Amino acid sequence: MLLSGKNGIQSAFDEELQHFLYGKECLLDELPFSRELIKKHVRLGMITLRLGVETIEKGIVPIQIGSKKWVCRRCGNTDPGEFGTVSCSQCRKRCVYCRHCLNMGVVRSCSRLATWSGPEPIREERPWRDAKRICTWEGTLSDQQKMAADRLDQSLSSGQSFLIWAVCGSGKTEIVFPAVEHALRRGERVVLATPRTDVVRELYPRFQNAFPKVPVSALHAGSENQVPDAPLVISTAHQLIRFSHYFDRVFIDEVDAFPYHFDPMLEYAVRKAAKEGAPFAFLTATPPPNLKNAYLSGRLNGVKIARRFHGHPLPEPKAWWIGNWKKSMKQGIVPQSFMKWVKQKSSHQVQLFIFVSSVSLLRELTELLQREGLGHVAGVHAEDPDRHAKVAFFREGKIRILVTTTILERGVTVPGAEAAVFGADDPIFNESALVQIAGRVGRSERRPNGEVILFHNGRTLEMVRAQRHIKQMNEEGGL
Amino acid sequence: MNEYRCLFCRGPRDVPLRFRTLLAPVHPPGLCRLCLEKMAPIDRKACCLVCGRDLRQLKLEFIRHNICNDCMRWKKSGRGRLFGRNRSIFSYNKMMKEMMTAFKFRGDALLAEAFRKDFRDAYRQMIGIDPKGLWNRMRRGRWLFPNERYVVVPIPLTRERFIKRGFNQSAVLAELLGEPIIEALSRAGSQKKQSKKNRRERLLPGRNPFALNPRAASAIAGRRVLLIDDIYTTGATLRLACDTLEAAGPDRVDALTLAHG
Repeated sequence: MLLSGKNGIQSAFDEELQHFLYGKECLLDELPFSRELIKKHVRLGMITLRLGVETIEKGIVPIQIGSKKWVCRRCGNTDPGEFGTVSCSQCRKRCVYCRHCLNMGVVRSCSRLATWSGPEPIREERPWRDAKRICTWEGTLSDQQKMAADRLDQSLSSGQSFLIWAVCGSGKTEIVFPAVEHALRRGERVVLATPRTDVVRELYPRFQNAFPKVPVSALHAGSENQVPDAPLVISTAHQLIRFSHYFDRVFIDEVDAFPYHFDPMLEYAVRKAAKEGAPFAFLTATPPPNLKNAYLSGRLNGVKIARRFHGHPLPEPKAWWIGNWKKSMKQGIVPQSFMKWVKQKSSHQVQLFIFVSSVSLLRELTELLQREGLGHVAGVHAEDPDRHAKVAFFREGKIRILVTTTILERGVTVPGAEAAVFGADDPIFNESALVQIAGRVGRSERRPNGEVILFHNGRTLEMVRAQRHIKQMNEEGGL
Repeated sequence: MNEYRCLFCRGPRDVPLRFRTLLAPVHPPGLCRLCLEKMAPIDRKACCLVCGRDLRQLKLEFIRHNICNDCMRWKKSGRGRLFGRNRSIFSYNKMMKEMMTAFKFRGDALLAEAFRKDFRDAYRQMIGIDPKGLWNRMRRGRWLFPNERYVVVPIPLTRERFIKRGFNQSAVLAELLGEPIIEALSRAGSQKKQSKKNRRERLLPGRNPFALNPRAASAIAGRRVLLIDDIYTTGATLRLACDTLEAAGPDRVDALTLAHG
């Protein structure tokens, strides 16, 4: 009788709807199914609905003065400036909507978010699971990497979060492979979330090569490599907003990267995408204070890797004073000592990253360098339509000097390249940004050294901290 | 509402420090300087007297007596006879296009707040209660009697689109004026979107999609009507609406639109 009852329920729901909605959270109007079908499932308790925008009442004073605070249940936005009101056609009243996640379809206070609360869909056969080795990565891990990988896997398997604090170029990606393989073998869903599209584009082929039989899905704005129901997802944090209670293991690359800890929505998205109690693995070279404190006080498991995989030290950034660069740029003059350095490097056939603080400065500097007769100079910034092409050209060596904003400060590996920061005293270059920039240099085993120069007009505290950070890491690495 | 951030790009917005802003508890939300610079406001001294087009962007051979060629052709066609004039605030350029996409299609109705001041100023100028209009009237010795106020009528959406979009963008703009709004029109049927048609299709005298709301007819009879819409493109929509309103016997019909293009 129990069995028949179960079968009754099984046939009662629509499998297509189940596959569509499982692990996701969608607006009710977005579902490509008929109203009756959805209503039926809601009545059966297979779909849970909740309000899109809810009011949160905190304290007596706001209630007294009538000011309300809202929260968007899709993106977690609570900033009162990011909500608008409109006279709504559906509820015929003034309706609040979230402005923060508008480009995924508007969430109003009268709209409902639907999640699947019925049984989990039966997944297709996965022949690759029985293979002897899922991960076919050929490289070998150093002792330190191996130790970190083992501890990471152990910790995640027991459901505890883990921090990998490793210097740039210590092979963080490879450390993750055993843990990913283990999870895949257990039939879990794994996501690797990163803050940037560039990083997703760089990691996707690496994971595809390492796990050739596993369907890998890459999610970023405008991505073409989306596989439905893929067990391994590499995604930008933005794209995870649509998921809800879906992933068993979450790896977050570069936790401290700019949009991640500046935009609380992304953290909300990642937390929502993970199943309840799913362990997180944080990978970073410069942990943000909360993780650092948790790790140092022992609340968070973790490991620190202070040595690069090739055993050479991180290049220590040198600070060079170039005077008032803002003023000289305004006059259209590139500071002498900077120019001399660039010319010297380009005569030695060295590829250069030049980091600048703003897009307007980037345009000016690129133009001036091109005018100086240095060939193959290009500028790249976040809204550049040819951004990916330019980065690819730089990797191939067709572009020798790449002037860039901080978008390329992480995740991009070009062997033999050296880096300069033009105007390092700008507040945008904080400790972690500068450490990351230093990490771009000396990535390959053949050319483990290189220069990192901070061209500045007055040394800032962040610059000093970055230098100290790298020195300390090198000391801990026994170098 | 965070008035120190730009409504459109969310960048920091420098609210100029004046005595008024210094002492004001809240500033009205708006755009930052960079976004404002990208917009193309229409000078009302250099616009077509009928459609409000920026005449400085038009070749001289298409202008006669400060009226553009298109409006001449409308006059000859005999459609929209009651249609007086349209006033637009911005030209429809790339920035305006992005704004409209965010406002209409993405549903960010709050963006309308950025144009509150401009929209109200244009309205005050149309009914002649702006400082300059007052001065002109005083010179003529009849400064007590400004023009009669308008009956504000937003251009409606079809029912399906209204439900789908969630709001009527023209009604949102009309609300900015702070005048009572009369929904005198309704729009029927499943028509192709105006924004998906080309010029030829728009200008074809097809079936009139608008219908007059009989209950509002008495409020319009003998009054001046101001139609509110988001964009004036060829003027076809406004003139069709104007023809529909004719049955209720308004004195004249003018229009106020956010963009012209």
